[in-house]
Amino acid sequence: MDRDLLRQTLSYHGQSLFAQLKCEQNENPDFTAIEPDLSKASYQRNDGGGVKTLVEQFIARKADILFAPSWKNSVPVDDELEDEGEEPYAIMPPLEQFMEVSFEERRNLLYRDMERGDIVIGRINSIRDFGFFVTLICMGGGLERDIEDLEITALCPLRDVPSNGSRDDPLSYYQVNDLIRAGVKDIDRYHEKITISLQPSSVAASLVSLKLGVLSKDDLPHHYSRSLRVANDNTETYERVLEGTLGYSNPSNVEYLLRKIGISDTQPPSLMRWLQSKHFLEDDFATAIRKKQSASWALKCVRVGVDHFKSGRYVEAMNEYNKALEIDRNNVEALVARGALYANKGSLLKAITDFELALESCPTHRNAKKYLCQTLVERGGQLEEEEKLVTAEGFYRKALSLDDSFPDAKEALRKIELLIQKSLKLREETAAREAEKSKNVETSAEKLRKILKEEKRMKRRRKRSSSSSTSPSSSSDRSSSGHRKSKKKRKHRRSSGGGKCQRRVSSRDNRNVTGNEEEWYPAPPNTSASFLDQKPGVFDVSDRPEEEPDQRPSKTRNSAHSLNSSTSVSANAPDNRGRFEDDPFDLSPLRADGSKEKGIWDKASGREVNGRERETSRGRRVSQEDHIGPQEIPRSSEKDKNRRTSSSTSSEHSSKSSRNDLPSLSRISTSRRSDSGSYCSADRDNREENRGIRRSDGGDYRSPPYSSRNGKARAGGSQKKELPSNLLDLFSQIAQFEKEKCIKPQK
Amino acid sequence: MQSVSRVVSPGSVQSVSRVVSPGSVQSVSRVVSPGSMQSVSRVVSPGSMQSVSRVVSPGSMQSVSRVVSPGSMQSVSRVVSPVSMQSVSSGGKRTGDTETDSSREMKTHFRVCRFIMETGVKLGMRSVPVATACVLYHRFFQCVSVSLYEPYLVAMSCIYLAGKVEEQHLRTRDIINVCHRYFHQSSDPLNCDTEFWELRDSVVQCELLVLRQLNFHVSLQHPHKYLLHYLLSVKSLVNRHAWSRTPVAETSWALLRDCYHGNMCVRHAPQHIAIATLYLALHSYGVELPVGQREWWQVLCEDVAKEHIDTIISDLLHLYDMEAKWT
Repeated sequence: MDRDLLRQTLSYHGQSLFAQLKCEQNENPDFTAIEPDLSKASYQRNDGGGVKTLVEQFIARKADILFAPSWKNSVPVDDELEDEGEEPYAIMPPLEQFMEVSFEERRNLLYRDMERGDIVIGRINSIRDFGFFVTLICMGGGLERDIEDLEITALCPLRDVPSNGSRDDPLSYYQVNDLIRAGVKDIDRYHEKITISLQPSSVAASLVSLKLGVLSKDDLPHHYSRSLRVANDNTETYERVLEGTLGYSNPSNVEYLLRKIGISDTQPPSLMRWLQSKHFLEDDFATAIRKKQSASWALKCVRVGVDHFKSGRYVEAMNEYNKALEIDRNNVEALVARGALYANKGSLLKAITDFELALESCPTHRNAKKYLCQTLVERGGQLEEEEKLVTAEGFYRKALSLDDSFPDAKEALRKIELLIQKSLKLREETAAREAEKSKNVETSAEKLRKILKEEKRMKRRRKRSSSSSTSPSSSSDRSSSGHRKSKKKRKHRRSSGGGKCQRRVSSRDNRNVTGNEEEWYPAPPNTSASFLDQKPGVFDVSDRPEEEPDQRPSKTRNSAHSLNSSTSVSANAPDNRGRFEDDPFDLSPLRADGSKEKGIWDKASGREVNGRERETSRGRRVSQEDHIGPQEIPRSSEKDKNRRTSSSTSSEHSSKSSRNDLPSLSRISTSRRSDSGSYCSADRDNREENRGIRRSDGGDYRSPPYSSRNGKARAGGSQKKELPSNLLDLFSQIAQFEKEKCIKPQK
Repeated sequence: MQSVSRVVSPGSVQSVSRVVSPGSVQSVSRVVSPGSMQSVSRVVSPGSMQSVSRVVSPGSMQSVSRVVSPGSMQSVSRVVSPVSMQSVSSGGKRTGDTETDSSREMKTHFRVCRFIMETGVKLGMRSVPVATACVLYHRFFQCVSVSLYEPYLVAMSCIYLAGKVEEQHLRTRDIINVCHRYFHQSSDPLNCDTEFWELRDSVVQCELLVLRQLNFHVSLQHPHKYLLHYLLSVKSLVNRHAWSRTPVAETSWALLRDCYHGNMCVRHAPQHIAIATLYLALHSYGVELPVGQREWWQVLCEDVAKEHIDTIISDLLHLYDMEAKWT
């Protein structure tokens, strides 16, 4: 029992309470221990209202509760300073203002209760050399009292005024009548002198967040502004102020204030002996019962589920188990039962997770352990069959780590270790053997392959550069080359070759492609047939040129076929157009980018070679060179880029669409031929539409004839296809190789 | 007969008659007759309130009486079971001793409220919902006689309803579990079977009954927030060290919670109750406040007089007497 508290009560109520206490608490050892101590003092005062005896009786009876040390503050007080703006509860003016306590008493009480670290708010009334004097108007924190009319003056000495940056005299910052918030530094209770400070260190820890110094009128605390209102309005009462505040209607102000005052609402105090929280059993609380109940309900479901399981109704059993787990999320029995069901149905991994969950919440569950071991071993066996020996070994080890005496797991682990060793050995051997073998093989086959690859790369280079230089066909060529590139990116072919024999190359390239990737070969009969019909003579010519020095034959071929290609173009164009239109726009940005890049690249790489090689090329070409002078090339390529981006609807479309089609088309060399021709024409059409744009770009060196010729050339080249493709391919490759050899030195 | 007319005051009879059919008012007057239980079923049965009649119909009474089954009778010695009500009411009628009757009722309410509070703690309810539950309970039995309805069932429904009113969600399952455990100490929790569902139905139906009986006026003003604000105001009047040494806040809060054992919470204004509990707490520790032109309690509430405070305090202290007598 709290002796001081009891003495305080006794001195208030007087002797009669002491008598009652002695009567009521005579069996309380706590009281009898301090009784002699208490009886020494004499209790004089004895006044009270009509219920005095009742109250005394009550105190006497409940003294063991009321004065128990544990009665006070079960919860630490949350003494945090609240943000005044929010006002979670009604902030009231000091009560003594309503009570009209006398001036003297209030002054005495203030000097008694004010402490170092409190915050006061005052108005500067005079500034001297040694500091300034402040008339206090209200308390700013720590203690809430009505002090405005008490005429208390406090001194803020110079050393407690923080210097303000550049100013030499910190006092010059302050003026008479400034509102100042300051911490109480010292109180001389006898001489009634208060010293305040503007240093933050003077403030109590709980109030540190308040800023000291000059204060604007709006920043005055709520309780002060409200007390001013009350002082000015006689009709204001405590009740009315209370009910007028925002905090009063805050629905959670009770919880907030309970926390602030430090009363526990989960273990509420009561003076009824029956309701002492300590009498309540932990088991009787809602959460505990619910937990227990859930467990038992879940168990019931599991039992039903097990019955289902035993009679083979697996679906019902699973439903019951799931229900059980819904009721009680971590029910061990349900998890084990469901795991067993999973294991039975072959979902070993699910079973394992269930068992593991069960063991997590109940690590000693015997069945869970046993089943988990068995399932792990079984799963290991499965993996073994799938030849995932190491994983299987892991499962066995896991099983053994759970139960190191589990014979199956031991056995299986032993076996698998042997097996792993064996297989490792085997693998080593085979690896060694294979290594040897591959070495031998590489010498011949690899070399050939390498050579072929080289060739192909060179071919591509040449062809690309040519396509870029002959811009009329650029879009179609670009598209096809871009296409090829995308197809064979893996092979890292880079084109930087000459553009001299572009037609030939393109045809050869087609060839090549067909030869290289055999699945491309089967050509739609209609196209090849049509070509055969149209140019029977060309076949022979175009067959040989590979071996011959390049340009001449192809030239003738070109001129010969120009008509044909244009006709085919006209026939095919509508179809292609339709495709273009169908081509959704969403694909375009990517594609356009790709083609653009490629085009630029082609240009750049092809430039030098072109420049050099063009000298040997035909007149037409030369005449073109006037347009595409070396000095002009950067610009033109730039322009080209511009054009491509700007006229993306036309040429980009075509390239796009051709690319789009290519996956299927490229596989079919013949069809491709005709298609490429049609692209050119389509392209041309588009170009015609966009001519304005291109002209403005300048240097419209792409003349239609070229494109048509190009298409024709291709058509011609593709006719070679009639030869056994492998053979043809070989020929062409060899020719290419030789050509490259010639070209390279030139570079 | 007298006791009934006291419990069911003329005004409340009207409200009852509004809910129940006019004919039932007559049967109310017969409640206290020896065959009161039969008349109970007649009170609500005439078809006026189907749902309610299910609550109080013989079937539901069984489920209720299962809550207050013989097992619980031992722990809660004088729980009002249908059987005991009959003998009580007939005895009361014979002797005509209204004093015993009213004190018996008070005792019942005291016990039931204590039950509400204990349940509230075990359910983790805050103080305000518990207070709401008690007030709902008291107001319900201001309108009807305790002999008509099973008070514990009403209490359970009041708890459930209070959780809704004060926006602290409570699950019926928890309420039933805790109450079941209260009556059958150290028994296993209920199974998910018909008994549980019957109880749950009874609680939910009875909640409707309470709502109708109170004319759906269930939002209440409580003294709690007044008391807390008063405490803050008074605290700043006292020296802070003296305050931290003296458990005035705890005591006044405990007194406030305890006062719901009786129906004083219905009879007095919330401000008055708050002041009275604070007054008693301050007096218990001999805390003296500065004296001004007006007393502190006068300032806190304009219309409170010393007599009010004294009445409330004596009512409150009477509850502790009852506790001493009846525990």
